[in-house]
Amino acid sequence: MRILRRFGRHIKEGFLGVGRHFGMSVSSSSAVTITLLLVGVLLALTYNLQIATQSIESSISISALVSYDAEDEDHLKRITAELEAIEGISSVTYSSKEDEFNYYVNSNQDEDLREFYENYREDNPFHDAFIIGLDDASLLESVKTKITNIPGIDSVYDGGENTYTLVGVLANVRLFGGALVLALCLLAIYLVYNTIKITISSRKDEIWIMRSVGAKNGYIRAPFLVEGILIGLMGSLVPIALISFLYTYLYRKLEGNLFGAFFLVPPTPFLFYMAGILMAIGVVVGFLGSYISVCKYLRVRR
Amino acid sequence: MISIQNASKTYKNGTHALSNISLEIKEGEFVYIVGPTGSGKSTLIKLLDGEEVPDSGLVMVAGTNVGKLRHSKVPLYRRNIGVVFQNYRLLPRKTAFENVAYAMEVVDTPKDQLRKRVREVLKLVDVADKSNSFPDQLSGGQQQRVAIARAIANKPKILIADEPTGNLDPKKSDEIIRLLEKINKEEGTTILIVTHDSTIVKHHPKRMIALDSGHIVADLAKGGSIG
Ligand SMILES: Nc1ncnc2c1ncn2[C@@H]1O[C@H](COP(=O)(O)OP(=O)(O)OP(=O)(O)O)[C@@H](O)[C@H]1O
Ligand SMILES: [Mg+2]
Repeated sequence: MRILRRFGRHIKEGFLGVGRHFGMSVSSSSAVTITLLLVGVLLALTYNLQIATQSIESSISISALVSYDAEDEDHLKRITAELEAIEGISSVTYSSKEDEFNYYVNSNQDEDLREFYENYREDNPFHDAFIIGLDDASLLESVKTKITNIPGIDSVYDGGENTYTLVGVLANVRLFGGALVLALCLLAIYLVYNTIKITISSRKDEIWIMRSVGAKNGYIRAPFLVEGILIGLMGSLVPIALISFLYTYLYRKLEGNLFGAFFLVPPTPFLFYMAGILMAIGVVVGFLGSYISVCKYLRVRR
Repeated sequence: MISIQNASKTYKNGTHALSNISLEIKEGEFVYIVGPTGSGKSTLIKLLDGEEVPDSGLVMVAGTNVGKLRHSKVPLYRRNIGVVFQNYRLLPRKTAFENVAYAMEVVDTPKDQLRKRVREVLKLVDVADKSNSFPDQLSGGQQQRVAIARAIANKPKILIADEPTGNLDPKKSDEIIRLLEKINKEEGTTILIVTHDSTIVKHHPKRMIALDSGHIVADLAKGGSIG
């Protein structure tokens, strides 16, 4: 009961605080607005990159060709088991030399050529093969070596160096985006801290009087924290609205494609997650900003 | 109740506000502190309140070594004492009622009990009609009385008042002192009052401690004999 009453009082005081220093509250939340806008744009970019990278990664596969002297069932079973035991492999698909032959022949458009190839069906030059999917493109080299070492494997091929490099670049871009988001959050905390510090500086006497009539630090802090959280929430509204609008517009305009190569992530539910994240960042930033500044003023006098 | 032993206080700018002060005040006593301006009276109160720390010596109040209190524990200690500050220290954004209520909220007084008590003390100091005024809408004397109401609201064991009648006319001053005498008698509250007002001291004789340039120059028991 007592805790609840106290809680209600702090919330009320927090709202009153925002109202009484409305100008200050607006300028604090616009500091949040600007940084969250950047954070939001970066989030949209990095998330789309993440998804693009994943789809490229999942298309990376290795073909392992079986030697002609290991084509009996026992060998194939053993090789399958050994392949599945390798870490980092997400799928192993068997494709017989007949499948391979058909695939090759059918991939030719030319009717005459297909007929010509058919002569070789009896004396099939293809190998039995395993198509191996990977969890993570960075494992490509090590997995390749391991597969080569399996007895009965003739040779190993992969999608090529290029996809591998692209994946590496995208991973770096993503990392850079993440670091930038973090840096921007810190900047937002600093901005909020600074603006709230100014609001509170005009109230440092108030804080001191509260202490002198027996209010503990936590009790004094609470309404300021509520105020900080409200400011953070207020600051996240504009970026959420703006980014949601722009993203949906862009998605429709580009019909989900970017440079013909990447697919954009559909607005729902992505934008809901983004709204949640931006709000959460706003709340945390507002909370920390006011926490740091109140603590500073609490210590000014005894 | 209050025991100060060889306490000295020099401010950062080098002013020696108090030099080697010692004094004992027993529970239930009513004491005046007098002295010319700048003699260290407010500094003495700040030592008792925990706002300033003595450079040397000991300040004990109700069993607490005030100078050694941790910063975070100072507010808890202050709940034992009611202080009327020379500059009132009312919260500017709260009404008279809310100012008194705040001191009771911090100790979690139940709401109806709180309302009743706030009205009661505002009436005792005769500012009930100004309950909903903000400090900047009150005269100096009215603010002073709200500060007194706030100090007595929680029925503290010790009441310390820096010039509680400084802004009041003789009639109001007399009323306030009578009120404090009544609290002293009925609640057994230990009372310490800083005053310049010789009429009060004459009409309501009590023990009187005189400060000058940071030294105790006299400690007169009620009636005037040196104690
Ligand atoms: N915060 C401070 N910093 C520096 N010097 C101070 C401070 N507070 C008080 N002093 C000095 O300490 C001395 C004692 O001040 P104090 O306020 O205790 O006097 P007082 O007896 O209360 O005077 P008054 O009757 O005018 O209120 C004065 O010389 C004053 O200038
Ligand atoms: Mg003074």
